[in-house]
Amino acid sequence: MKPTIFYNRRKRLNYTFRARYSSFWAPFFSSLFALLLLFHCPLSAHPFSGPEVKGKVSDEKGAPLSGVTVNVKGTSIGTTTGPDGSFTIQLPGKEATLIFSYIGYGTAELKVNGQSPVTMIMRQNDASLQNVVVIGYGTQKKVNLTGAVDQVGGEVLENRPLPNLTRGLQGVIPNLNIRMTDGKPTRGATYNVRGATSIGAGGNALVLIDGVPGDPNLINPDDVESVSVLKDAASAAIYGARGTFGVVLITTKKAPKNRTKINYSSSVSLNDRTVKPDLVTDGYNWAKTFDSAYYTWNDYKAHPQKVNSVFPFSLGYLDELKKRHDDPSLPLVDLDPVTGEYVYYGNTDWLHELYADQNPSTEQNLNVSGSSDKVSYYLSGRYMGQHGIFRYNPDQYKTYNLRANGSVQATKWLKLENDLTYSQVHYFYPLLNHPSNTPVWRRVSDEAFPIAMLKNPDGTLTQNASIVFGSFVSGNNYSDLTRQQVRNTSRFTANILPNKWRVSGDLTFMKVNETENRLYTPVPYSTKPGNMLERGESKMNQDEDKTNYLGFNIYSDYEQHFGKHYFKALVGYNYEHSLLKSLYIQRDGLINNSLPDFTLLDGQNYTLTGGGNEWTTLGGFFRFNYNFDEKYLLEINGRYDGTSKFPQDQQFGFFPSASVGWRISREAFWEKLESVIPDLKIRASYGSLGNGNISPYQFLEVMGVSKLNRVLNGVLPSSTQKPNVIPNGLTWEKATSTNLGMDMGFLNNRLTATFDWYTRYTTNMFTTGLPLPAVFGAAVPKGNYADLKTRGWEISVSWNDATNWSKPLHYNFRFTLADNVAFIEKYNNPLGLIDTYHKGQRLGDIWGFETEGLFNDADDIKGHADQSYIRVSAANTQLPGDVKFRDLNNDGVINLGNSTLDSPGDRKIIGNDQPRYLFSFTAGGEYSNFFISAFFQGVGKRDFWPGSDNALFWGAYNRPYSWHPVSVENNMWTPDNPNAYFPRLRGYVALNSRGELQVTQSRYLQNVAYVRLKNLTIGYNLPKKLVSKAGMSTARVYFTGQNIWTWSPMYRITKDLDPEVIEGSDPETNPDSGNGMAYPMLKTYTLGINLSF
Amino acid sequence: MNAMKRTYFTILTVAAVAFVGCKKNLDLKPFDKLSPGTAFNTEKDLQLYANSFYNILPAGNDIVRGDALSDYLVGSTPNTYVYGTFNPTLATGWKWDDLRNVNYFLEHYQQANVTPEASAHYQGLARFFRAWFYFDMVKKFGDVPWYGKTLAVDDPDLYKGRDPRTLVMDSVLADLNYACDHIRDTKDATASQITKWVALAFKSRVCLFEGTFRKYHTELNLTSTADKWLNDAVTAADALITSKKYSLHTSTTPAADYRDLFRNENPLSDEVLLAAVNNKSLRVFNDANWYWTSATYGGRFSFIKKFINTYLKQDGTRFTDQPSYNEIPFATEVKNRDLRLQQTIRMGNYTRDGAVAPPDFTYTYTGYMPLKLTLDSKATDGVAENYNSLPLIRYAEVLLNYAEAKAELNTFASTDWDKTIKALRTRAGIANATMPTTADTYLQQNYYNDISSPVLLEIRRERGIELALEGFRYDDLKRWKAGKLLENQYDGMYVPAMNTPYDLNEDGKPDVAVVTKVPSTKVPGVYYFIIDNVQNKLSEGTKGRLIVMDNLKRSYDDYKYLYPIPYDEIVLNPALQQNPGWQ
Repeated sequence: MKPTIFYNRRKRLNYTFRARYSSFWAPFFSSLFALLLLFHCPLSAHPFSGPEVKGKVSDEKGAPLSGVTVNVKGTSIGTTTGPDGSFTIQLPGKEATLIFSYIGYGTAELKVNGQSPVTMIMRQNDASLQNVVVIGYGTQKKVNLTGAVDQVGGEVLENRPLPNLTRGLQGVIPNLNIRMTDGKPTRGATYNVRGATSIGAGGNALVLIDGVPGDPNLINPDDVESVSVLKDAASAAIYGARGTFGVVLITTKKAPKNRTKINYSSSVSLNDRTVKPDLVTDGYNWAKTFDSAYYTWNDYKAHPQKVNSVFPFSLGYLDELKKRHDDPSLPLVDLDPVTGEYVYYGNTDWLHELYADQNPSTEQNLNVSGSSDKVSYYLSGRYMGQHGIFRYNPDQYKTYNLRANGSVQATKWLKLENDLTYSQVHYFYPLLNHPSNTPVWRRVSDEAFPIAMLKNPDGTLTQNASIVFGSFVSGNNYSDLTRQQVRNTSRFTANILPNKWRVSGDLTFMKVNETENRLYTPVPYSTKPGNMLERGESKMNQDEDKTNYLGFNIYSDYEQHFGKHYFKALVGYNYEHSLLKSLYIQRDGLINNSLPDFTLLDGQNYTLTGGGNEWTTLGGFFRFNYNFDEKYLLEINGRYDGTSKFPQDQQFGFFPSASVGWRISREAFWEKLESVIPDLKIRASYGSLGNGNISPYQFLEVMGVSKLNRVLNGVLPSSTQKPNVIPNGLTWEKATSTNLGMDMGFLNNRLTATFDWYTRYTTNMFTTGLPLPAVFGAAVPKGNYADLKTRGWEISVSWNDATNWSKPLHYNFRFTLADNVAFIEKYNNPLGLIDTYHKGQRLGDIWGFETEGLFNDADDIKGHADQSYIRVSAANTQLPGDVKFRDLNNDGVINLGNSTLDSPGDRKIIGNDQPRYLFSFTAGGEYSNFFISAFFQGVGKRDFWPGSDNALFWGAYNRPYSWHPVSVENNMWTPDNPNAYFPRLRGYVALNSRGELQVTQSRYLQNVAYVRLKNLTIGYNLPKKLVSKAGMSTARVYFTGQNIWTWSPMYRITKDLDPEVIEGSDPETNPDSGNGMAYPMLKTYTLGINLSF
Repeated sequence: MNAMKRTYFTILTVAAVAFVGCKKNLDLKPFDKLSPGTAFNTEKDLQLYANSFYNILPAGNDIVRGDALSDYLVGSTPNTYVYGTFNPTLATGWKWDDLRNVNYFLEHYQQANVTPEASAHYQGLARFFRAWFYFDMVKKFGDVPWYGKTLAVDDPDLYKGRDPRTLVMDSVLADLNYACDHIRDTKDATASQITKWVALAFKSRVCLFEGTFRKYHTELNLTSTADKWLNDAVTAADALITSKKYSLHTSTTPAADYRDLFRNENPLSDEVLLAAVNNKSLRVFNDANWYWTSATYGGRFSFIKKFINTYLKQDGTRFTDQPSYNEIPFATEVKNRDLRLQQTIRMGNYTRDGAVAPPDFTYTYTGYMPLKLTLDSKATDGVAENYNSLPLIRYAEVLLNYAEAKAELNTFASTDWDKTIKALRTRAGIANATMPTTADTYLQQNYYNDISSPVLLEIRRERGIELALEGFRYDDLKRWKAGKLLENQYDGMYVPAMNTPYDLNEDGKPDVAVVTKVPSTKVPGVYYFIIDNVQNKLSEGTKGRLIVMDNLKRSYDDYKYLYPIPYDEIVLNPALQQNPGWQ
């Protein structure tokens, strides 16, 4: 029988009472307990008179809630609701406040002033879900937690169509740092907990799905019941060397008790780019700037003869453009009388050609679940499809999830469960056919000039189009990716001694197959009428990764009460093995462009490689909990861990940890404060974990075999070469963390707050040793040479309340804020070189020059320090309007010095690129049948250096022929506009090394802090009557907007970049193509319905 | 009953744990890589490893850029080594991975169970590449430490000082001698692999370098040893010449014979001994077209007139013997010259894809726009997909090595002239290619004022012309101690008048005009070359030769013959000691 949990003092009594005697006398006491419950209501009824209030309690979906405790505030009067959610209670006076409490739903208050009946809708919320928190190999009551654990429920993902779970978890838990790098629907992210981990082996949080490692991007977000993050070593220690940098536990939904439930939800969305760059598209205006930027870089001596690689240009052409600009009736395309080739005078908006006007997506979700006494099942299926952003041959994202979960109570004490999931992600993505394999955005910025055009008058592609996304238009250039995962977990739970000694075990088999096919076929284009040409390669490749994983856990726990002493012990064993096999094949020469199959390729250039890796870990672990009267809490964890990634004598390590807690609010002396702060707990933990994250085989001498990139005797032969020099005495990196925390509840726990402060020392990091003279002739062997300190804190504050405005209004707020910084404590850099790690360095520091301003006039240049290190033009002749750098060391020369800490030249730390003060704010409300929720997320502080080839930021300063953003165009220095942000227009200065805008400097460093409205949902629950007529229990419609509003200080300079995904370029093509050259971030508007039966 | 079941269950569970727990297979080895124990067993294994040595050889793109630092080219990007801002912190090239790779092989190849002949062949290959490696190092840095073994992390030799040039070069010679004696002598028709013949040719190059370097760099106090090296150069070259395995490439189209050596996909192995082989179907490319025809990607390198002047006229007379040779317009001066001129620069009726292609001032500064290494089709202009193989060693060089070594030894006979210089000139369509008896004053005054031997002057002229753009020039200037030539004024074609469009290829269409300001009405097709009389000017004010990049001060003093050791390396090992002049 399930004991009702009473709040406050009463609960504690019952709990101890039950547990203490349950071992032997369980049947007897449970009967007694039931009796007590039966008599509970009448006994509690107060003798003195007042109005009797009738009422009904339901959940937010309108289902009646039975067993809800209803108390009259300030008295001992109380009752519980019946099966239909109704209750009757005698009030002591005319006015009173009722307090409703229910597990999983927290508490709610309602003022009554004689009216009857009353209704109360209780809402599942964060704070209450955390009453029980998922931890390693078990659960723990939140009040008894001693480590740093945070948990959110699945509702953070509700009404939010998401391509994958990871996107939905961004920002919801403080210091669970998920940085999405672009808007691609397949984009996952690593899960980082609490900042910098290791600059050696690296390491991210371990992500477990129902206790077993898995890919969070392949899980159905709708199946998620809760997500729990174990942040400190003490909580994660049970997972040993793979939980070194935190653990993320994703728990999936199970069947509801004793009923059948069908849930169907469906949504349609329209996606749009968050950022739409405002670029110059007028051909003549663009060409003027282009010519000028080229001319100025060449010291006002040379005008361009070509626009980048193929488009002819001359001053005569520019004059002709002007003519067409002034007289738009002239044709946009001419034929050159001499060569017969097309001459273009376009005003092309290439981004308009690249992107579709809109891209829809849809999501369908169905789950059926139910249970009886002995059997329960949960079946779910999901389809999510997103139509991509491109106008031609757009990308297509499709994901399917199926899950079948069932359990059988085989005997009274043995429960068997099986969980089978299948996931498939399919992504079609158009590719360029260009040898450098750059992302389309980079190619567009380099070769798609407004003066060029997509198509010739006869409908064929132009040469410039063939270089940019002509391959999208012609088709047959694409990547086709399929990722499939089958995962099965079988589990048993044996109650050897009921409620006292349990043995559990699970065995998981998982197979992940990922196959990507890429096809390249030449792009047809034409430069003169009737003359077709082709450009690009004809080839196909296939990249296959197959992973087989086997995981096995067995563990047993035992708990016992002795008076006010409570003990619990857990021991277990874990074994995991993973084998990855890869295959890559490529061949040139499609025999027939419309039949892409490896049989139909006949090129001589082919590649065939295999490879892969294998690892095994195993470990024994234990956890010991003790508490005295739930007041003094103690937990000790330990794990003896072994991994195949280390040399034989170092394969095993033992990693202990401990944590303590003190619930001050349970002390007698707190009695008086209890009404204000009913709950106060302080926690402390300390633990040390080995980092087994290194890639396999690092300690072995290996000689790879690869194809030589040199033709010998007519072929590209294979070759091998000298082995790596193996590291000496390799041992475990260690992460030692200390955590201090505090949990508080105020105002009857309507306001709750949690605060944690931590430091984490990562020592013995596996980094390159002391530099050896180059005559050594090989990479310096790595070793355990460096130390890192990361410290930070996180805070979350929640407010949950309800008032009654004729109908109850529920509302809640949650605010989280987290921060961390990391310092290098030890590193092999005796010279103190700035541009590599050095002792005392704060991670993310940006070294740069200090910009003094822009030169006013010739005298200003003459009187200033020698800036010849910085280049402004081909011959490096400075002019007014060029950037002026401060001579920080007053030596009359602007340079790098020795690039050491002692001699940094004129550089200093001008900023830091690590995100700081990551915050989120959630607000929700519910009134009548309406509900609303909003989720803001952002970064409080972060610096960003725009970098080379960031065409959206630099415009013509980067490459004269690239995009010309209007914001740059209007903000350039000229004698008439001396206060502009950007200097005198000069091409290439943001690109070429040592260029005046290429060198990192203070003036152009961007503040990319931001706040973003990630999610706004407005919904309506259809009236009960209507819904039940249709045989449903609830029905709702909602409207959601995601990423719909953003603000960043950077917007003062440019709005053409999205501050959330500002770094890097598309990693599937070429990650070094310049910042911002990536799939745009999307904003999404969704209309959805949600039906329950 | 229940209790019994539970007991069984518990026992079973414990047994299962014990079973799995014992099965702790944590010793996993990579399944896709070799290890030192498995990589040296058969001849096939040795070949597999030896293939990696070929990475030491220059790739096509290295040849394309080989002459970026030379006296006869001017480009848009000033070479910092000559323009004065160079210092040891910018120094590169102190890379030793290739040596470790060779030495590791030499320490392990004997594990293999192969015939003594095969064993010696592979040892020879390894030592050939070690010689190649060290020759590069010595050319660059002078003295360098000699290592005949791989170094451990704690080997004190990591911190030893440099060994003298004599020791290192003697070791190089020993390696080369072994290579010449033991590498198999089957001629490689693909010109891609090292054979005995390649080793001999390379030995002649190394020995000529070392001999002349010691002779002219008197500061080394090694002049007395120069002749020994020159003699070795002669012997090696002679062995190759007398083998008759190679000859100068000739065909029925003499005007293309020279150029065909550089634009063919398959190296012409009658002359080419070793090439950086490019191959279209294997997609191994160089970027010559992109490099030489892009204003931004390439360096816009152009020849200067002072060098172009050294090309003889087709009748065998010297171009510079005619009066006012510096005042002849481009279209005229390039006529009736050594056939190699039209196969080295754009001129005359040169066409690309059927259209005339005069020198393009978008890419050239002087008018002398190189085409030697490029393909005529525009298809690869903007993309690194040139599939023409570029020679690393060809027979013409061996002839030049032979001639020069003999001339330096004063043993040069007229028969030597006939089989070397005359043979080359004859292929270039030059009539009357007889051995000269008088020194060319132009060469003496403008190039080699320390040389009085008419023959040696002609050999140097020939070497400059024949091997232009193939990456020999800077090494030649170094060994001749003629580095001062890098301070050359950069002159271009003769411009009779300002503001007047000129036709460079006599197709009736003007191509270029030299102006101080672009006129408002422009002649279609004309490139307006802007001069400011500081950076760019005309030698006589409003007419004369184009002088470009004149504002950039160039300096090449004797200490620059040795490149500095990178600053960081001196810090790591002070015993290396910096080369003089760079401290």
